[in-house]
Amino acid sequence: MSLLEISGLSAAYGAVAALSGLDLAVEEGEIVTLLGANGAGKSTTLRCISGLLAPTAGDIRFAGTAIAGLHPERVVRLGIAHVPEGRRVFPGLTVRENILLGASNRHSTRAARARDAEEMFALFPDLVRFADTRGWMLSGGQQQMVALARGLMARPRLLLLDEPSLGLAPLIVQQVFRIIARIRETGTTVLLVEQNARIALGVADRGYVLETGRLVVAGKPEALWNNEDVRAAYLGGKRLSEESRT
Amino acid sequence: MTIILQLLFTGIGIGAVYALVALGFVLIYRATNVVNFAQGQFAMLGGYCMVITTVDLGLPYWLGVVISLVVMALFGALFNLGVYYPLRHRSFLPVVISTIGASILITNLVLALYGPEPTTLPGMTDYPGISFGAVFLDAQYLVIIATTLALVILQYFFFEHTMVGKKMQAVSQDKEMASLLGINVTGMIMLTFTYSAVLGGIAGILVAPILFVSVGLGAQIALKAFAASIIGGFGDVPGAIVGGLLIGVAETLGAFYISVPYKDAFAFILLFAFLLIRPQGIFGEKIAQKA
Repeated sequence: MSLLEISGLSAAYGAVAALSGLDLAVEEGEIVTLLGANGAGKSTTLRCISGLLAPTAGDIRFAGTAIAGLHPERVVRLGIAHVPEGRRVFPGLTVRENILLGASNRHSTRAARARDAEEMFALFPDLVRFADTRGWMLSGGQQQMVALARGLMARPRLLLLDEPSLGLAPLIVQQVFRIIARIRETGTTVLLVEQNARIALGVADRGYVLETGRLVVAGKPEALWNNEDVRAAYLGGKRLSEESRT
Repeated sequence: MTIILQLLFTGIGIGAVYALVALGFVLIYRATNVVNFAQGQFAMLGGYCMVITTVDLGLPYWLGVVISLVVMALFGALFNLGVYYPLRHRSFLPVVISTIGASILITNLVLALYGPEPTTLPGMTDYPGISFGAVFLDAQYLVIIATTLALVILQYFFFEHTMVGKKMQAVSQDKEMASLLGINVTGMIMLTFTYSAVLGGIAGILVAPILFVSVGLGAQIALKAFAASIIGGFGDVPGAIVGGLLIGVAETLGAFYISVPYKDAFAFILLFAFLLIRPQGIFGEKIAQKA
């Protein structure tokens, strides 16, 4: 049994279909990446998993439990943390407070939360200096670190990451992806949505490529990277041909 | 000089009441992004709860206060369930109209049950007050100032030093993200309404012995408290307190030095002045949003 099993997942924003019949599986301990252009349905997939969007059809199973349509507060208690696009750090709270709130999905004592927060500061030493700085004063890279640390505070079995590289300088992007690789080493499974295919495939065990709400091709990073159609879709913006969809 | 001190004392006393109601506006606004136009009615209900328990039923004053606060807490929860919750996914306007509708309903229910005649509530203590030279500190005003100060300190501690307070702040800043972290957003909003109703009730209980308890009490206080929260910088907690005190002092000084009949106008003259010169309010735009 896979940790996460998605079958026939469809979702829509009002009358606009965003996902049509997606099948996807993530095994425990993997980093799986979802690739695709804007509007391909990558973020929508994550929103359906974490409960922000109720799917119109299909099934989502996490460790065997059906979670489609559950409220986000329930989903995160089951062990899925979603670090959404745009970081969404609470602007009026300090870095430490943001991180501590990440443990809201479970019952823990004040001392245990503080210990976990210290662990996060050890994992993200650059944040120590900013522990008492309010969220809105941070740079994009610092906010991404806070968002990651806050997500990890939930002690998730599955971490959903949406566009962690968006708007960051190349050096910071490398730093973020080194941390993502380390997160997997601690036993956390990662489902990663990225527009930066090169760096995502560099860290992932497997990848799925979506186009307008459908799965077009899935496979190992090398296979995807060497797939002419995938490269064309990314580098030239050309649509994938019908033949390659089989 | 003595006159000025006397007027400042009175102004701060009445201003503290505006500040409490303004705090209710701000807390609900921050939690739901909606202005609750029934906030003043909460104060009126608090005043009537006191009249019913202590005057009509003859209960001891302290018991009246306890019962009134419990009733207000329940009322706040009920208000959330009936007025806000069904419309929580709608835009700003339907919810605002819903709160205006609720305030009209509350006013007229009180009118139907209690009639239009204003009633009076005795002060918390028979003790008249303290004299400092020529300045007389009235006991009820002292009670108002002390209670407000205690509430502000308590609230600061709650929001800055407890996890529930942090969760409430998180909900007010980004509800979707808060729910992704497992914070009970509905529960936090329920708590906000409950607390705001209690705050409004306390304001009503405190001000009832000074003003008459009437159906018009709510609108009278709410308009000035609303002006106070704009002057302070809408959505800002210290702003609501400073704005309330400013309005209290301004109308007291204005009434004494300029004109008593125009007492109620000074709050709005101050509001106009702020809207012209500093529309974001005293503490406005302190928290900038960063992409």
